Amino acid sequence: MMNSTQPIRAIHENISRVIKGKPQVIELTLVALLARGHLLLEDVPGVGKTTLAHSLARSLDCSFKRIQFTSDLLPSDIVGVSIFNRQKQAFEFMPGPIFANIVLADEINRTTPKTQSSLLEAMSEAQISVDNQTYPLNQPFMVIATQNPAEYHGTFPLPESQLDRFLMRLRIGYPSPDEEKKVLDRPQSLHPAEDLQPVLAAQDVLDLQAQVDKVFMEESLTEYLLSIVQATRQSELVSLGVSTRGALALSRAVKALALVRGRNYCLPDDIKELAPTVLSHRIMVARTQSLRQRSFEQAERIIQDLVESVPVPV
Amino acid sequence: MPCDQALRLTSIVLASASFVGLVLGASLPGWLIFLTASALLVALSRTGNVTAITSVVRLVTLSPTTWNVLVLSGFLGFWIDSLWISGDLLTSGIHFLLVLMIIKLFNLQHRRDYVHLFAISLVAILAAASLTSELWYFPIFLAYMLAGVWTLLLFQLTKDAAVPSAAMRREPEPLESNRDVTPKMFWMANGLAAATFGLTLVIFFVIPRVSAGFYQKGYGENIRTSGFSNTVDLGSIGPIKRDRSVVMRVELPDRQAHEVGRFYLRGLAFDRYDGRSWANQLSHRRSLSEDSPETFTLRGSQSHKPPHHGPALRQHIQLEPLDTPVLFAAPFAESINGRFPAIQADVTGALYLPFPSSTRIEYSAVSRSNTVAPADLQPRPAAYPELFIRHFLQMPVQSERIAALARDVAESKQTIYEKAVAIQDHLSSHYRYSLDAPLAAQAHPLEEFLFDRKTGYCEHYATAMVVMLRAIGIPARLVTGFLATEWNEYGNYYVVRQQDAHAWVEVHLPHSGWVMMDPTPADGDSAVGTLPAWHTVQSMLDSVRLRWNRFFVQYSATDQLAVMRDLQTGSASVRLRTLDSLAALLRPLTAAFETGIDSMTSGDLPHVVKVVGILLAGCGVVAWLVWARPWNWPRRSTGAAGDEQAIVQLYRRMLRQLERRGIHKPAAMPPLQFIRIIQAQWSTAGTAVASITELYCRARFGGVPLTREELHRAQETFHQLTSLSRS
Repeated sequence: MMNSTQPIRAIHENISRVIKGKPQVIELTLVALLARGHLLLEDVPGVGKTTLAHSLARSLDCSFKRIQFTSDLLPSDIVGVSIFNRQKQAFEFMPGPIFANIVLADEINRTTPKTQSSLLEAMSEAQISVDNQTYPLNQPFMVIATQNPAEYHGTFPLPESQLDRFLMRLRIGYPSPDEEKKVLDRPQSLHPAEDLQPVLAAQDVLDLQAQVDKVFMEESLTEYLLSIVQATRQSELVSLGVSTRGALALSRAVKALALVRGRNYCLPDDIKELAPTVLSHRIMVARTQSLRQRSFEQAERIIQDLVESVPVPV
Repeated sequence: MPCDQALRLTSIVLASASFVGLVLGASLPGWLIFLTASALLVALSRTGNVTAITSVVRLVTLSPTTWNVLVLSGFLGFWIDSLWISGDLLTSGIHFLLVLMIIKLFNLQHRRDYVHLFAISLVAILAAASLTSELWYFPIFLAYMLAGVWTLLLFQLTKDAAVPSAAMRREPEPLESNRDVTPKMFWMANGLAAATFGLTLVIFFVIPRVSAGFYQKGYGENIRTSGFSNTVDLGSIGPIKRDRSVVMRVELPDRQAHEVGRFYLRGLAFDRYDGRSWANQLSHRRSLSEDSPETFTLRGSQSHKPPHHGPALRQHIQLEPLDTPVLFAAPFAESINGRFPAIQADVTGALYLPFPSSTRIEYSAVSRSNTVAPADLQPRPAAYPELFIRHFLQMPVQSERIAALARDVAESKQTIYEKAVAIQDHLSSHYRYSLDAPLAAQAHPLEEFLFDRKTGYCEHYATAMVVMLRAIGIPARLVTGFLATEWNEYGNYYVVRQQDAHAWVEVHLPHSGWVMMDPTPADGDSAVGTLPAWHTVQSMLDSVRLRWNRFFVQYSATDQLAVMRDLQTGSASVRLRTLDSLAALLRPLTAAFETGIDSMTSGDLPHVVKVVGILLAGCGVVAWLVWARPWNWPRRSTGAAGDEQAIVQLYRRMLRQLERRGIHKPAAMPPLQFIRIIQAQWSTAGTAVASITELYCRARFGGVPLTREELHRAQETFHQLTSLSRS
């Protein structure tokens, strides 16, 4: 097995030069990348969501596109459109911004469900169809979507079934005062991510992704993981538990985390740590809770409590 | 193997042991045996996670209500069964018990289900105990006890593990435990079982017994014998001559193994022959006087003349339950010693119990055979009293041919004895022994035997001799009994089987009294064609069975009293007795060993090779068990089991150590997170704990075997931690 520790550490260091004081967020981003997953960043504006996506793309020697989602955005604005070419007397496909390795979908909840679903379809199938033609997307392919939890006016919240397509939902959060000071001390003239040099080729990412499949998960850990999933289905606080796709996602994420941490086998710690991040957007909090509380934090707290009740294999 | 899985396994073994006990002890309907056996198999395969069966079982999973309905209908069936079908409370109870067992086996999920299964098994093994006194019960009981100790141990262990998780989830959880059955535990449990068994033995011999097996009486079927009733048709012994079931075992304490040969056990004597069947018209019985406790003596029953006796012969006899009250002994019994309410005898010297015994009985007898007096070797006229003429010279319809033959054979001889011997020799040399003789269908079976077919078996020979003797005026009678030929060299006793049933002749000589004669030639094909090794094994087993009967089944309150008395009078005799008993129990083994040595020195190589082969195979199995440790197997698939086991154990010990220190690891806390807790709460131990945890994680979850050095290092780190916690 190729030594995976070194390249992963290199990306991590590269990104943390830009995103200060958030090693966990960077680690989870890498987990999503290696697990062939997509990331949903949910946080207030201005904490570095775009910067995170940008610096990841810069570190990877990969193409990067950003789509600003608005209410008048059309599906063809994402996937591309066939245009009649007068010289050739034929329709020609003009690929949309989704033909990139890292795609930042900014404020995904601002656009209509139709446009949302065109993106989400592409995410799950890694290909798009326009005019009966199928076009494969670039590999590696990762969507980093953002949404703003503070604003609700004029938004179309993603339904749970669509949220399921994202491997994990993350918050970045404000940096600590010290770290924030470092950000301010930086020269303001140019975008911080522009400085970054790529440390990994696209092929390296694909190799790392293949290695995730080889990470060993011991039988009792699989059972532990499933009993956590089972607990979400049985809890009174949850009206809809984690699906099998959710369990599969957790398993992949856990293996990726083990690889990111330099192991070729999983530990119970990995599962316990990732469960809230990977599972919280896949459950429906029961209606007995007030609407205000059925938020991201509430779901995360429920998963955390459930995990605390499942015994770890010894 | 994880504890919960092991518990399931031992529970099923427990149930199987009691089930086998019931199957062997009671006659159960075939469908019930089949159902229970398949339920056990299915339960067993679910333990082993055979997916195909598990999925099938999942298909037939029924709701709790359905199961309850099943139990209720089973209960209803029990009453129907006990009132109309089997009509017996015990039998129908056993049927119901098995139905309950089947239902439980399909429902083995919660801890209370296990408790129910244990209770059912206990009742079943007790029921089996009450139904039998056979040797096979012993290994089954051993298996039951071993499984029982295991099960209780595992039940307790899983209880510790199941309680906190159940409390946390607020719902009844299936059994869950992550503990493993360690080799240490394996030996401990087996040792515990052995200790329990030892204690049981002590209790068995010491605790006063209130009663003998309650259900045993009248339950088992007595062996059907032939030839020991008041009338015996000619040819009735024939059909049982191929029945190998054991009728009795006879020990001869005064005889050495090399002195043994054909050994006669006398049962009944018959005086009247009507051409088709024999009858005993002198069957009027009188009770024998009990001289000293449990000793019954015959006095002057033999004859009014002082007979010439041979030496006294002592016999210890274990008689299986027969359908006849006749007691057997070598001819002619003088006294019987046994725990009987009374013993009766008729004029011919046959001995009877008041009624047929339904249990195995044990008694000793002293016999003396008559030898021919010198006076009988000289020709003298004999005058017989009226009784003799009426009974022992009685003839069926006179047959001239037979009388002519008799005269012909005995013509040249002078004395009665010589004449009798001549007839005996004539019969045994001119006629062929065969079991294929047809039953007494002809009008004159005797003439057919003597003049036409010239083949027959003991009854034909004996009858012919008696009739011929009577035809020339010599009083004679027919005797039925057993002719023992099978000597068990491991236990030094005769095994007497149904096929040894025999008939012979007693001739009355004027001065000697009744003298035994046997015209039947030795049976040429008596040896059954079994392998010598198999025969050895059977003989050894049978000798163990004799001792089992004597020391366990027949062991009664009186024996206990004897032991107690000995305890009071002095420990030396007790020690001797114990040694004797032990030696007696071990004798088959030593005998086998000696035989092995003997045959080795005498060059009987194949037999030696077999014995040595069996021994080697046994050693091989033990060595394999020690080396391969099959109890570790389920985990072996994921990595080096030995090392993994060791480090996991070490990790658990470390957790216990930390617990003593007051740092508890909650069940839901993963190992690395726990390191951070340790570093926060007891920073000096942080490195040690981290180092052990790292190795543990790698071996336990990484499937990476530890090297010896790493394991050694982990152990040293643990010792450091121990000393750290002491300081």
